[in-house]
Amino acid sequence: MSTDQDIERDDPMIAAEWALGLLEGEELLAARGKVANDEAFAWRKYWWDNWFAPLTDEMKGAEPGPHVWTAIAAGVDHNRALQAEAELAGGGGAAANVIDLQARLRRWQWTAGLTSAAAAVLLAFLVFAPGSEPAPSPGAAQTPAIAAADPMVAQVPIGDTGLRLDVTYIPESERMIVGAIGLTADGVHDHELWLVPEDGSALQSLGVVKPGEVRSMTLSEEIARNLENGVGLVLTREPIGGKPEGEKAGPVVAEGAFSQV
Amino acid sequence: MAENGDNPATIARERLRAAMVRLANGDSTALEEIYESTRVKLFGICLRILRDQKEAEDALQDVYINLWQRADRYDPERASPISWLSTFARNRAIDRLRTGKVRGGAVPVDEAAPLPDETPLADALMVDAERDAQIHKCLGTLDERTRTHIRSAFFDGYTYAQLAERADVPLGTMKSWIRRGLQRLRACLEASE
Repeated sequence: MSTDQDIERDDPMIAAEWALGLLEGEELLAARGKVANDEAFAWRKYWWDNWFAPLTDEMKGAEPGPHVWTAIAAGVDHNRALQAEAELAGGGGAAANVIDLQARLRRWQWTAGLTSAAAAVLLAFLVFAPGSEPAPSPGAAQTPAIAAADPMVAQVPIGDTGLRLDVTYIPESERMIVGAIGLTADGVHDHELWLVPEDGSALQSLGVVKPGEVRSMTLSEEIARNLENGVGLVLTREPIGGKPEGEKAGPVVAEGAFSQV
Repeated sequence: MAENGDNPATIARERLRAAMVRLANGDSTALEEIYESTRVKLFGICLRILRDQKEAEDALQDVYINLWQRADRYDPERASPISWLSTFARNRAIDRLRTGKVRGGAVPVDEAAPLPDETPLADALMVDAERDAQIHKCLGTLDERTRTHIRSAFFDGYTYAQLAERADVPLGTMKSWIRRGLQRLRACLEASE
């Protein structure tokens, strides 16, 4: 008799079993938990789902009864009324706010093509913006302060590498998030990001980019006031540590501009 | 995205994709449009898994209400809308099966409901002909026994235990067959990418 002992049941295998519908009970719960925190696992589940999806073309279509749509429309109206009530009541508004925020965030991701890592950082800052106080204790009935204005996003493509910086500015918090996922350090250069003020005044340094990381920073008022729709960004190649004091900035290797999303 | 922009299937797909994006942005009128163009396919999926008209209708209702709540999870860059919706519907139906509310296999599916083949959008809503061919090709490389069980898991929603019982083999044997098959399937699909 063969046993399952001899087959490596790695994550891709568990993702396949899940996509097929074979997981049950605790294994299913574990997989659902894992997918929220483990990007590789989530990716693999999606991969299997996408490969299996065409098989549904073999399932014959069928017409549901007309009452189904009526029930769906009623269900949606009911949920919408609940949401509106929660918003009016204020106390329950926090959850609705977060849902609204997630929807907005997803929209920015689509329109601006933000990477999911940058979006996750952005979400964390938006919920707790403004200021940098830590989150209130879990369960505290405090409505998260949520930035009302949409952020500004700039993408700075790096040559034709397909890589880019994602730069996001949250107006009310004066925070900027710079995502450099996928970039790697070459060990001999750093890259420094600069704001190009619209009024033609001197470039303002936004600091050295940390390859492979998403960083958040608070901007000084001098810089923040120059941040408006259309304002440009350039990335220069510098010695390690950034542009040395008193020297000219290095060559511009990439540029982009902010736009409101 | 697609090159053949005036092909009716491409137009239907793009229209559906646009409706999904509108829905995610909070336009609930988009839901009706999505329902109109996808209900026949998604109901067919629910019915196939649940094999009961009433259960399948409840599942379908659940699918669209959930879709309205979670449309923002759909990422138009990653999957075609019909592929995503089909997976979503099948997963919801499987969840229902697994929660024990449904006695699977009560009604043979062919008797359960009328099955219209003449739906105009049926072809347009094929998930993806190319991927369809590839998954079939890769399933075809498996031995017949393994292929049958994997297909049965997908189409009938059987668990390992049910598959083992139906084949009259120990549970460990069934797991081993299917896992070995999935391993080979993965290698074949990866080689095609």
